[in-house]
Amino acid sequence: MDDLHIRRSILADPKARDEAMNEAIKNDPAKQKFVHEIDALDEKIAQAMNIPVPDDLYNKLILRQTLASHQQQKSKTRVRLAMAASVAFVMGLTVNFMMFSSTYKNLGDYAIAHVDHEASHFSNTDQANVTLASLNDKMASFKGSFDSTFGTLIFADYCRFDGSKSLHLVFQGESSPVNVFIVPNDDEIEFNAKFANETLEGRSLNFNHSNVIVVGDKKEPLNQWQERINNNITWSI
Amino acid sequence: MATKQVRYEALVKALHADLYRYAYWLCHDKHVAEDLVQETFLRAWRALDSLKDEKAAKSWLITILRRENARRFERKRFDMSEYEEATITDVKATSNEQEIENQWLREKIAQMPEEYREPLVLQVIGGFSGEEIAKMLSLNKNTVMTRLFRARNQLKEAVDSEPKLRGLHNG
Repeated sequence: MDDLHIRRSILADPKARDEAMNEAIKNDPAKQKFVHEIDALDEKIAQAMNIPVPDDLYNKLILRQTLASHQQQKSKTRVRLAMAASVAFVMGLTVNFMMFSSTYKNLGDYAIAHVDHEASHFSNTDQANVTLASLNDKMASFKGSFDSTFGTLIFADYCRFDGSKSLHLVFQGESSPVNVFIVPNDDEIEFNAKFANETLEGRSLNFNHSNVIVVGDKKEPLNQWQERINNNITWSI
Repeated sequence: MATKQVRYEALVKALHADLYRYAYWLCHDKHVAEDLVQETFLRAWRALDSLKDEKAAKSWLITILRRENARRFERKRFDMSEYEEATITDVKATSNEQEIENQWLREKIAQMPEEYREPLVLQVIGGFSGEEIAKMLSLNKNTVMTRLFRARNQLKEAVDSEPKLRGLHNG
């Protein structure tokens, strides 16, 4: 290892010496002297570079970070609150939409689906058990009343008719029950006077604030039922 | 949250002095150095989760500080006359001989070209190896070793040629 190379690497990094260098230094007093000189120089350099650090720097650094993270936290809370609010808002809209929007596009479809759904609860042989008085009691909320009993009324109660409160009447028919719905007028749902599927048929009549829908088997004389209702019902204002 | 805070405080405690000195030798101004260190630690706090290896903390912080320093120059150029004695802080009027010598050497260090001084500061203050310095400065190792050699050689020559002049100071 030549002298110049050793001097060069000592000057470049006095602390890093390999075996070969140590060996070379050990055997050469001139090199030893050089190493001492450079070590002394490095000591001086280190001292000179070791400029005093402001006493309060540590505290300042901690303070700034504390303030910064406080700020950050505050804005995070605000963002979270805003997000929670939007989620709640959207949920509200969704629930509203699901609860109160019409699933069916027209009266007929819904009436048929409703009858199909509840068909198993009624049988044509059920006894009449609703009096005219209690029927009219229920009719009162639709601002209507029946003048006299007509047919055999098996069942009368409030029902949800696609989101709106309605009255569901079931009469004994010739071979199967006949259903009558009193439904408040609703702009969202399309009115249709006549409707049918494979087995059921329906008629609707539109009055001032309510629709009266009759649904029954195709064999039932629905026109007659409609007529009877029409003759019997009185609407108040 | 608490552990992040603890980590951060430990980091500041252990490294703020070295970082400040490094910053000082980069910009030769106490106040700018302090600002740089503050900015660096603030960035470090925000990115603390990305620091996986605590051993790499020092070089990580130095990298942030160098970037911060570079940004300072993008914002505005300081029209300081390079390496004037004005930029070197006079420690105390009543300093002893050791202080006078330190002061003299500080001036010499400050007068060195930036490209020689920076690796030397990293080596002496940071305790980094040639390879680590090369990585931080994006240079190859031979270049760094050459610069370190030249830096020390310059200081050695300065020290060797100055004693008479300094002797005058001391009477």
